[in-house]
Amino acid sequence: MIQVLEKFAEPTRQSRVAIGIILIKFFKTTIKAFWPILLSLFLGRKSGNSFVDYVGYAALGFAALNVIGSVLTFFRYYFHLEEGSIVIDKGVLKRTKTNIPFERIQTINLQQNILHQIFGVVSLEIDTAGAKKSELTIDALRREDAEAIRTFILEEKDQLAGNSLEEVVEESLEEKEAKTILSLSLSDLFKIGVSQNHLRSMAILFAFVFSSLNEVTDDIEGLISNQFSEYQETIINNSWIVFLSSVIVVGIISFIYSIINTILKNFELRLTEERKGLKLFKGLLNREEISINKSKVQNIGWSDNPLRRAFKMYTLKIEQASSAQADQLKSKIKIPGAYFAQVKKVLNIVFPDTPWKEQPKNKVSILLKYRLIIFVGILPALIIGTISYFFNGWLSLWFLTWIPLAWYYYSLYYNKRSFEMSSEMIKNNKGTFGNNFEIAQLYKVQTIELKQSWYQTRKNLSTVTLYSAAGSMTIPFIEIEKANAMENYILYKVESDERSWM
Amino acid sequence: MNELFENIPVNISELPDVSKSEYHGIEKAYLTVARISNSILFSVLIIGAFCIIFFNDDINNIPLNYAISIGPLMLFWILSLLFVSKAFPKKKYSLREKDIIYTKGLLWNTRTSIPFNRIQHAEVKQGPIDRMFKLHSLKVFTAGGDSSDLVIPGLSEEKANKIKEFIMGKTALDDSGS
Repeated sequence: MIQVLEKFAEPTRQSRVAIGIILIKFFKTTIKAFWPILLSLFLGRKSGNSFVDYVGYAALGFAALNVIGSVLTFFRYYFHLEEGSIVIDKGVLKRTKTNIPFERIQTINLQQNILHQIFGVVSLEIDTAGAKKSELTIDALRREDAEAIRTFILEEKDQLAGNSLEEVVEESLEEKEAKTILSLSLSDLFKIGVSQNHLRSMAILFAFVFSSLNEVTDDIEGLISNQFSEYQETIINNSWIVFLSSVIVVGIISFIYSIINTILKNFELRLTEERKGLKLFKGLLNREEISINKSKVQNIGWSDNPLRRAFKMYTLKIEQASSAQADQLKSKIKIPGAYFAQVKKVLNIVFPDTPWKEQPKNKVSILLKYRLIIFVGILPALIIGTISYFFNGWLSLWFLTWIPLAWYYYSLYYNKRSFEMSSEMIKNNKGTFGNNFEIAQLYKVQTIELKQSWYQTRKNLSTVTLYSAAGSMTIPFIEIEKANAMENYILYKVESDERSWM
Repeated sequence: MNELFENIPVNISELPDVSKSEYHGIEKAYLTVARISNSILFSVLIIGAFCIIFFNDDINNIPLNYAISIGPLMLFWILSLLFVSKAFPKKKYSLREKDIIYTKGLLWNTRTSIPFNRIQHAEVKQGPIDRMFKLHSLKVFTAGGDSSDLVIPGLSEEKANKIKEFIMGKTALDDSGS
């Protein structure tokens, strides 16, 4: 371990490959910022004016600036290890020297995008607690170095936290044989891709196409009608066929998009058990290595949809505590395919001292269902229907079909809505067409909120929200006595528990 | 009450009951602060509406137009002043041995409880209108997002600092203990 400290005691530059990686990063950000301009200039070239020359020069200038910038960035980036902290000294125009004490470091993740993979380097991401901008990245390091630095820092941190050296050594021996909890093969990924929520990918595609079109031109309609002006007559004649076929085309595209996206993101996904928690490897173009610290996990959730149920698979979500708002996305880890046995295994590893058993289900009040049907179903249908009556006459009776649909939907929702509570944990059950479960440990709760609307006060009901360091869990419409009892018990549980909660 | 959750080993009815703990109201002067900030908001809206009619050439400068735009605003102003006064007595806090509880809300009555050992830090703040009435508010932060933070307005400086000390003292104690 001491060699690591010695090796990186002097300010060190990153691996030389970093120049290329920084350059690509630069290009990416500039292109991301300016691509609508570039594209519209490119499209505008058809008209062929001398303006094009300027554009060419501007592009060259941009490229040169990027190259110089990334080279300078590389040569002005040093890092080294000190006793108890890592120091990063960087910046061309604005120089900053950051000193991060090991005890403030939460996790260290390794990442490899396609360039990293080609050159055999990794980028090291250091997450710290507290600060708003809590992330520090070393763009390119040799894999051995990155791993050495990571284990060094994490073990130093452990010692600072008060664990004796012996314990650490003993446990790190154990660590050698990392157990695989789950891994996804290509056929698993295919199943997951097939059972993805295709409506959502359709929506994403539409949003992407429209927002890009919007940036290129303000007049989407004009653009489309221009492009299709020759076909206009045929379109008008065959509008139904066009409509149907475009729906089919979009459907197929989003289906393919779902599958490719799933495979790229989760290629060779592997979840292993480590000394302090779990470790997740995944990705093809962008290979990630994420460590999950047991004690920081606040919430474990698993969900399915009707398609995925056919494969008996769940989407597993593990939520960790995070201090800065910006990290919230990163601290939620999603594994798109896991069998129930694997979900159970993860539960037992993450919450070892409080194994979960199924508990009697507590239903929420049936009034929730009626309220939802009235406020989402009946009222909107009547109001919109009445307004529409003045314009469309009796055709607006169609709006009334919304009511049975809402009835059906919320009956499904209500039937699945329940919660289970044991002396240590709480489980929330939700879902309409699919199922959605989440489990949290009671002692990790940090705020309890009881909310009563006027209506709820009259009916002696209350909505309970439990906040943890990773998010919240809501249980609506339960009897006020039950809510009070829950509040009293959970407060007692939190206040009498000495375990670390994040 | 234990039969509500038969699988819990402790007798819940013997635990200290949050709803029966001792609640304290906040300073009376805060009602004035709330009314003033409410009035400022509506004054700005009314002046805005007036300016739009007065300076816009497309809208006729007749009393009817003023009445249509400013009348409802006035009505809302009065209603919200009433609302503020009605909601004021609902703002109450309670300090127990190991947690802090705050209740508020007329239409949506909420009760928020935060155990001291989950508090990250607390601060005493003062807005410009608070300053005129020598009032302070106490803000309690927990880990994670902003959604679970707690603000108790309308406290005297002495009280706010005292509560803060109490909370933070407890937090420090618990930290060294674990």
